[in-house]
Amino acid sequence: MSIQFKSIADLREMLDDKSISASELIQESLELAKKYKELNCFVTMNEEFSVKKANAIDVNKKTSSRLSGIPLAQKDLFCTEGLRTTCSSKILSNFIPPYTATAVKKLEDAGSITIGKTNMDEFAMGSSNETSFFGNVHNPWKKGYVPGGSSGGSAAAVAAGIVPAATGTDTGGSIRQPAAHCGITGLKPTYGRISRWGMIAFASSLDQAGPLARTAEDCAILLNTMSGHDAKDTTSLNSNVPDFLENINQPIDGLKIGLIKEFNLSDLDSQVQARFEESKKAYEKLGAQFIEVSLPNISASVPTYYSIAPAECSSNLSRFDGVRFGHRAESTDDLNDLYIKSRSEGFGDEVKRRILIGTYALSAGYYDAYYKKAQQVRRLIKNDFDNAFQSVDALMTPTSPNTAFKFGSKGTQNPVELYLEDLFTISSNLAGLPAISIPHGQVNSLPVGLQLIGNFLREDQLLNAAHIFQKNSDYHLAKPNLGDF
Amino acid sequence: MSWETVIGLETHVQLSTKTKLFSRASTAFGASPNTNVNLIDCGLPGVLPSVNKEAFYKAIRFGMAVGAQINQTSIFDRKNYFYADLPKGYQITQMDLPIVIGGSIEIIIDELTKTINITRAHLEEDAGKSIHDEFEGFSAIDLNRAGTPLLEIVSEPEISNAKEAVAYMKAMHQLVTFLDVSDGNMAQGSLRCDANVSIRKKGDKELGTRTEIKNINSFKFIEKAINFEIKRQIKILENGEKVVQETRLYDSSKDETRPMRSKEFANDYRYFPEPDLLPVIISDEEIQKIRDEFPELPKEKEIRYQQEYGLTAMMRKSLHPLSPWLISLKLLYKKRKITPFYQIG
Amino acid sequence: MDQETVRTICYLARLEIDENKSEKIQKDLETIIDLIGSLQTIDTSDVEPLYSPLEMTALMHEDIEKSDNKKEKFLENAAASNEDYFLVPRVVE
Repeated sequence: MSIQFKSIADLREMLDDKSISASELIQESLELAKKYKELNCFVTMNEEFSVKKANAIDVNKKTSSRLSGIPLAQKDLFCTEGLRTTCSSKILSNFIPPYTATAVKKLEDAGSITIGKTNMDEFAMGSSNETSFFGNVHNPWKKGYVPGGSSGGSAAAVAAGIVPAATGTDTGGSIRQPAAHCGITGLKPTYGRISRWGMIAFASSLDQAGPLARTAEDCAILLNTMSGHDAKDTTSLNSNVPDFLENINQPIDGLKIGLIKEFNLSDLDSQVQARFEESKKAYEKLGAQFIEVSLPNISASVPTYYSIAPAECSSNLSRFDGVRFGHRAESTDDLNDLYIKSRSEGFGDEVKRRILIGTYALSAGYYDAYYKKAQQVRRLIKNDFDNAFQSVDALMTPTSPNTAFKFGSKGTQNPVELYLEDLFTISSNLAGLPAISIPHGQVNSLPVGLQLIGNFLREDQLLNAAHIFQKNSDYHLAKPNLGDF
Repeated sequence: MSWETVIGLETHVQLSTKTKLFSRASTAFGASPNTNVNLIDCGLPGVLPSVNKEAFYKAIRFGMAVGAQINQTSIFDRKNYFYADLPKGYQITQMDLPIVIGGSIEIIIDELTKTINITRAHLEEDAGKSIHDEFEGFSAIDLNRAGTPLLEIVSEPEISNAKEAVAYMKAMHQLVTFLDVSDGNMAQGSLRCDANVSIRKKGDKELGTRTEIKNINSFKFIEKAINFEIKRQIKILENGEKVVQETRLYDSSKDETRPMRSKEFANDYRYFPEPDLLPVIISDEEIQKIRDEFPELPKEKEIRYQQEYGLTAMMRKSLHPLSPWLISLKLLYKKRKITPFYQIG
Repeated sequence: MDQETVRTICYLARLEIDENKSEKIQKDLETIIDLIGSLQTIDTSDVEPLYSPLEMTALMHEDIEKSDNKKEKFLENAAASNEDYFLVPRVVE
């Protein structure tokens, strides 16, 4: 029986009833990765180590953990000891970290097996995976179409059924938007829920790791393992981590879902809008109530984000200077020349653009007008959410205004066009709130995602609402036809 | 024409903690190159800082000793610039909300007491070390010192000459060693200063254009560097020329200051709150605890010893004109055969 | 945003832009600055900036040494190093 498109829960059963061994499972997963090489989901494979670890699991026969022997893929911005970590950038194309990110370490300690590192937008800056130094990732649903970004490789690897789940990071929608475009489930947890130690920083106050998987149930399994305080990340939350999997099957009768008045859905593609209306009905049928809420400042999310994220990134990316690691330009006159050449050769255009914008926003004379102003508006946006959550349990929006688009069709003339793709996802990063994207049908044979935003630390509610939806529908079971790859 | 000198000092005190300000690597001096360096100090991708509590306590202890206001909520900021021995491309320091604000230090010059006010004192991390002359064509980077906690103490521009500057630094040295805030080892760079020197016509209200002499690490050099700089600036002004605002280095071998070679045409550090560190909030209980552990203050001690042991001002002056209480303590130790002097009192 | 500003920012960020791309990049930057500039219409008087979604206190570490020095691996990752140091073109101060 093929392991392709199987969920973690499915694979666990197969491993437990011995219909497959860990080694066979990993072998198949690795073979699928090879078979669909053209998708370009992976930057680096971890074959030798994976096979070894699977063999060891078979020998030890210890399967106390749900994740034992399960193949996973890690976004290539999680540092993995001894395994190349590139952030899909030329500047890190030869970087071998001497340590492993906490989130990945927790997953690996629970017995899961990292089969490879996935392609992404360079340093997670992008919404289409087109800024990767290692080339575009194809959307498994349609060749030549983007998988979304920045966790595009992770989303495509899961959508193609190569691995049941993968890690991603989400700074402005980088888990949820590719999950939506690839027809899978993706969760951005509360800021601080998962340690950022070992996650190569894009924007420190917005970055958050999370799972991409076929089902909300699998997301809960991964979140259970990835969450928790880490002394190495003093911004990781020191609060109790509930058992997300255990809480996933509660009735949603009486669940109050808010619809954001300021998001005028009639501006959207009529079919994307129709999908949304239908899911709303489905939720109503399951007992949820819909209430219109107003978040007066939410439309300022995109400009707020594009001031804060580049500012933080301009500083975070200063360490890539060619001195201690990463690409160093050849034949340089002096230290300054070394910096300028190494960085200019090492970074792609979008990364440079954002560093420059951030440098500008922080520079003398502009700091108050751009950076500080944005952080003030950020508080207004957070206050709006706080008010909304007085009367609702969750908020519902489309994940993305569009379905996946063709390579090169957006943002090449005007970068802001691509930034607007993040309209629905960005605000939860600004406020630090959890949000999930679940597939809810297709438009022109391409998947569409539905987003639920939850209150602070209420991933349990989101996962429950998503799971109940998936129990009562089969959108999440739809599989792409991979015949073109 | 009669000229007046105005000097402000920025003193960098290396705090005597066991570990670094944002990592748990050792701060021990003299380790072989790049061994007191962990993932954080190396500025590797993906690492995050965490604050050393003891460094905060030491900074607070200093603040209390100089009668300053302690900011119980203080935040860290990033100061962005590129340099080979600055691993992250930014230094974590404190800009808007430093831990210590105000306070003062007394110096004694010719038996007269003068109060030098302190503007602020903030915590920041030290950079690594660049070795320029050991390898042909290369500078070599040793990150052992990177991340070592420093307390930067900024004085008001109230110092009038090199002698006062030396007196201020000596008083500072005694205070921080007495408080066990620093080992005060100047040869190892535990106490060093930048001197901002400017000259104006006597009676002028406005300050003249200043130059900053960087990284002076001995009492002798402080005096020499400042005196050289005063003479240099007066000469410029007397020729009817203008002093250029710049950073200078003191070259002890030639006994002169010279401008630092720098290609920076724009010095814009783009300070912003460090998003990897939340604000540090020190509770009232912690403040009380630090207060309770406080060693007896030098001045109080001086009064007591003067009363108890009859040390006269004359005796003190003949031994060490600038450290009345230190001398008293030394005599006392001798008497009691006790060595570590911080524990007494 | 004029050319001089772009040059200053590029220098601060230690980046240089291809001659043939500079006009496009300048235009892109202007578009993005316009986008961010739209925030000016929002009244934020008396609003405290929100620098992190977490408004809590930093946890601090105790002053107890814990070494995870990996000198060889650190130096291995550098483009130029010897057995003890990272190496850069000679700096004259």
